[in-house]
Amino acid sequence: MSFLAPLFFVALAGLAIPVLLHLTQREKKQVQRFPSLMFVRRIPYQSVRRRKIQNWLLLLVRMAALALIVLAFARPFLSRPDAPLVPGQGAREVVVLLDTSYSMGFGDRWGRAQAAAAQAVQGLGSSDRGSVVLFSSSADILVRSSAERERLASAVAGAKPGAGSTRYAPALKVAGSILAESQLPRREVVLVSDLQRGGWRGEEGARLPAGTTLTPVVIGGPVSQPNLTVTGVSLARSTFANQERVVVTAGVSNRSEQRVAGASATLEMGGLPIGTRPLTLEPGASASVTFDPVTIGGRNMRGTVELSADALAADNLFHFVLSPAEPVRVAVLDRGGASSLYLSQALAIGEAPRFETVVRQPEALSDGELQRSAVVVLNDVAVADALARRLAAFVERGGGLLVAAGARASWPGGVDLLPASIGAPVDRTRGTAARMGAVEYASPVFEPFRAPGSGEFATTRIYGYRSVSPVSAALVLARFDTGAPAMLERRVGNGRALLWTSSLDQSWSDLPIKPVFLPLVHRAVSHLAVYREPQPWVTVGQVLEASAAGRPRERVVSRVVLTPSGERSPLGDEGEGVLEVREQGFYEIRGAASDVTVVAGNVDPAEGDLTPMDPQDIVAAAAGGSAETARAAAVPQGPEAQERNQRIWWYLLCAGVVLLGVDTALSNRTAKA
Amino acid sequence: MAVEIHAVPGARFMDPSVLARIGNLELVSRAVVDGFINGLHKAPYFGASVDFAEHRGYVPGDDIRRLDWRVWARTDRYYIKEYEAESNMNFSVLLDVSKSMDFGSRGITKFDYARILTACLTNLVHHQRDRVGFVAFDTEVVEHVPPSAKHMETVLHVLDRLKPGRPGNLQGPLHKLAEHFGRRGIVVVISDFYEEPGAVLEALSPLRFRGNDLIVFHVMDPAELEFGFDDAQPFEDLESGEQIPVVPEAFREEYRSLVKAHVDTLAQSCAAVRVDYTMVDTSKPLDHALFAYLNGRARRMKSR
Repeated sequence: MSFLAPLFFVALAGLAIPVLLHLTQREKKQVQRFPSLMFVRRIPYQSVRRRKIQNWLLLLVRMAALALIVLAFARPFLSRPDAPLVPGQGAREVVVLLDTSYSMGFGDRWGRAQAAAAQAVQGLGSSDRGSVVLFSSSADILVRSSAERERLASAVAGAKPGAGSTRYAPALKVAGSILAESQLPRREVVLVSDLQRGGWRGEEGARLPAGTTLTPVVIGGPVSQPNLTVTGVSLARSTFANQERVVVTAGVSNRSEQRVAGASATLEMGGLPIGTRPLTLEPGASASVTFDPVTIGGRNMRGTVELSADALAADNLFHFVLSPAEPVRVAVLDRGGASSLYLSQALAIGEAPRFETVVRQPEALSDGELQRSAVVVLNDVAVADALARRLAAFVERGGGLLVAAGARASWPGGVDLLPASIGAPVDRTRGTAARMGAVEYASPVFEPFRAPGSGEFATTRIYGYRSVSPVSAALVLARFDTGAPAMLERRVGNGRALLWTSSLDQSWSDLPIKPVFLPLVHRAVSHLAVYREPQPWVTVGQVLEASAAGRPRERVVSRVVLTPSGERSPLGDEGEGVLEVREQGFYEIRGAASDVTVVAGNVDPAEGDLTPMDPQDIVAAAAGGSAETARAAAVPQGPEAQERNQRIWWYLLCAGVVLLGVDTALSNRTAKA
Repeated sequence: MAVEIHAVPGARFMDPSVLARIGNLELVSRAVVDGFINGLHKAPYFGASVDFAEHRGYVPGDDIRRLDWRVWARTDRYYIKEYEAESNMNFSVLLDVSKSMDFGSRGITKFDYARILTACLTNLVHHQRDRVGFVAFDTEVVEHVPPSAKHMETVLHVLDRLKPGRPGNLQGPLHKLAEHFGRRGIVVVISDFYEEPGAVLEALSPLRFRGNDLIVFHVMDPAELEFGFDDAQPFEDLESGEQIPVVPEAFREEYRSLVKAHVDTLAQSCAAVRVDYTMVDTSKPLDHALFAYLNGRARRMKSR
């Protein structure tokens, strides 16, 4: 046993303190009055006799407590020979990390990887324990620290490559956690992988416990076989003869070391081949393949770009889903004339999304039109009570309402829908006109104008506006320079209501002729319509949300997801409403009746790049340079091991404290006696 | 002389600390002495005089020879004829009121004990029609009540007033007092005798010169005898104020042997000069002291 802080032994001199205390403690300061000291004076005063220790037990307890505490502070540690670290001795804890990313499907790599993993399992001794961890972008523990070799071997044999991409860090972290819990003296990690460079993103905190031996088994070799990858697809929509058409362009890379000639790329739409293009690519080169335009026939049209067969099949496919771009239907209510000219012109421009506008007199708005509309714009109209109630129900269901409060605008007081009650007009035609002051750029309406030069509201002149009294639930998105609200938003039920306190024509402001008018109207209407750009595909590893495919949340009920492999799993609205895309292909999300959404899942094209990394890089980074078995023994103990050997101080301190407690009890008892 | 003790509840063997709580010395002394006298089966002392003093009611134990039959014949009641005692002599108590007497470990100080003892003796003697006197002294005479048959009340009053306060010395006051005891009588000295036995004897001897009977009560507190202290602490001399660090456990044996030697020496020395010496422990009832006195007195009368 040695001591980390032997200087603390000086404190052992403190052992004299209890001795002195015991010799003097009973001498009270209180004076005893006595008739005469005639006889006492005759007795010789002997200091040694006088200092007689009264309570040996108490003294010993006190001295032992003090000695233990001093010993604890001296930090004793056991420098026992660390037999476990001597190579070739002691039981092993072996974690086999088997790469199941789709790149392992290249050529005969998977077979070799399985053989290497099986060999590592077979190499386990009777006292060894093994774990099998499959990893791609995440890691799954198939068997955790088991001594049954058959179980481990069957786990290896049953594994197959998936559609994920390679990430080493999660796998190494899992291995580290398994090893950290292990009590066995020798720890090993066998990493069976093609060691793609793309899977290692540098230091990610994936460090193995000290003394761990990391053995990478590289399943590589020259990439001589052809390997083409579809790196992506671009979809250019256009409208031709009232039909929406899309031109599909696929990006293709040659990831092999040899020239590929005679390959082809085929586009299939809805299961039917649309066209095939021949491909010839130099090593490392990329090309774009453009197919003939395709008319979008209906919702959820499945498209696939497929390359001719090569050594790695997974990255030859690229799926996407096409649906006709649905316009945002807007009903504009005005008093006729040219009051909605600027507004309708602004809404007539735009592709993503496209706006479909109908202009009506307030009383002419039919229920069917209201039902079809996503957004209703009240352009400076007086709203009757009945219409207000219809609009309130419409917003409650999830619709959007934009109110431009010009000189004629009014709203019945009995219907609580607007973000503010509309008050008297404020005339700013005399003197300086009002300008837009504070703008809430965090709001989705104004978010595009956040960056400098993205649109200037300050130059807009407002000659008149309505004074308003916001309700408590209202959010003021913009104010005039006087501080009066310019734009307010309120969430009502599933929908939203926006109030612009001035007009949307030129009667009260010059906003319609400013450059910010068009993007502002587009953003406001898109925001009210809860518009999301459709996503033609997702990459494996991403998650599907319940409100996927641009579906408004209110329509989401409990859904079922049909995976490409045919499995069914529920996709609810709450916490379980998230499903990780793990397979390549089309996921069907089935809701009520005919409500079916199709999501295309694609593999990460970066995984098709098989360029390997230097095994020593990952060994050095993950195992802190202690990879070589021979050097493992020389590696100094980690802080945990050191702490384990030094933990004795803790027990000593506890014993000391316990003895102090005993001392207190004893001295109390003595005092009472 | 065979003395049978008749237990009279509440009167005899009273705890001195209980008596000390009774403020009235007369009451205390009467309680002790009456019970004491009544408890004696046969009163050893009676006035053997021809000078009639008074009648008093017969109490069991009285000598029936002293019954006045004539009075009986007249009144049909028993009366005892009391005579002026022939042997009435001077009875003086010399009480040490030095500071060292103001010590008590069991609820009563030596001084209080001595005071009660004095009161009891005075009362007892007064019953015998002797003349009682009283002297209090420390380094000098503090109070002096000359012996008289009528001075019992005065003695009790003086006793009541006394407070110990100064250091004591035997030789000075006792030598001075010896000159005053012209008439033969009984002299009782009550003290704690914190002086060398030689000095004590030297101080006492003059009191015997005129044929006085000298009775010495050595009053000691149990703490002084046993030295039963536990804690090491400084001890302060009550008289000199001197302080000495003392570890009682270490001192106890030696101290006890020294005290014992002192007491033994005093007893022997007193016996040698025919002085009645009685060691009185303040934790013991007063009866012990009174018996000691009476025994001594009886012995003396026999021998006379």
